[in-house]
Amino acid sequence: MRKANLTEIYKIFFLIGIQLLGGGYVILPLLQKYLVEERKWLTEEELIDYFAVSQCIPGIIAGNIAMFSGYKARKTSGALMAILGLITPSFFAIIILASLLTTFTDNKIVQDAFWGIRISVIVLIIITVKEMWSKSVNSKFTYILFFIILLLLIFLPVSPAFIIIISALTSFFYLKIGEKKNA
Amino acid sequence: MLKLYILLYYEFFKIGIFAIGGGYATLPFLYFIQSQYNWFSLEELTNMIAVSNVTPGPIGINMATYTGYTTAGISGSIITTTAIITAPFIIAITIMKLINKFKSCKEVNYIFNGLRPASCALLISIGLKLLYQTITYTEEDWSMSVQFDYHAIFLFIILILPFSFMKKRPLLVILAGALGGIILN
Repeated sequence: MRKANLTEIYKIFFLIGIQLLGGGYVILPLLQKYLVEERKWLTEEELIDYFAVSQCIPGIIAGNIAMFSGYKARKTSGALMAILGLITPSFFAIIILASLLTTFTDNKIVQDAFWGIRISVIVLIIITVKEMWSKSVNSKFTYILFFIILLLLIFLPVSPAFIIIISALTSFFYLKIGEKKNA
Repeated sequence: MLKLYILLYYEFFKIGIFAIGGGYATLPFLYFIQSQYNWFSLEELTNMIAVSNVTPGPIGINMATYTGYTTAGISGSIITTTAIITAPFIIAITIMKLINKFKSCKEVNYIFNGLRPASCALLISIGLKLLYQTITYTEEDWSMSVQFDYHAIFLFIILILPFSFMKKRPLLVILAGALGGIILN
């Protein structure tokens, strides 16, 4: 792994910031592309871990994942560059849109485009999971955990942070007990 | 003016600490700020949410920028944007330092072994919920029956088939979806 320089981190996250349309989850496929596949600053596992941890701590998920990835590339200054790069494009976009004072969002074409983007986001989420799958769900225990959590999430109004903490504890105790049995 | 800046920083710093989850977690806080300070009207708030949704970038941060701008111009927007990321930044750095320190510890790996399937389940459930919302609508007559939106189903299939076999191109998926939306409606 080549050491990342700060300008490059800023540039990549600036690019990601421009493409981050339709909500924070889109950052996952973007990071898979730019950091995991192209630059290899992150592994697929690390990205999944950052996503999980981001659910349980304060702050906007996309921002948290960006800071974790930036930190991985170049410690604290990397995290700072990542978050600054991520928010620069939207900062200017908002200022421009807010000062134009047009009814931009009432425009029929804009609304239709965003109706379509909502569907793109679903497709991106599915593709993201497809790539994470083999690194995450790969044993009898993880299969069972996955399906139980999925059913819980679909049928009960449980918070993601709660789910993440419960899964962490379940896995911890399951493996700890297994370890004792084998010892 | 200085008092307004301090209040803005304080309120958005709080959002940064307490809004756990996606960008929409900031909404209840913005409604609270609206009712508390009257820096902007309810109608302006609705407009901010709409614009934040169609602007690139994390929605929660966009709303902070927009609110700051509406309340106190460019300097206001710099204050709110900085304020909302201050606490998460400190927390993220601390967590990464801890993870790095205990990375080689096998107990940490036991924990992540459970977090990964949970992340997959979380994403799939979000995808399914969004899919259900997008491909169905409720009839607005007495029957209130749930109908399928065939345009949405069609676009979903058109997008998922080629892109699940292709090299990863998130922007292309977004643009294709936007174009599909314009053509189909």
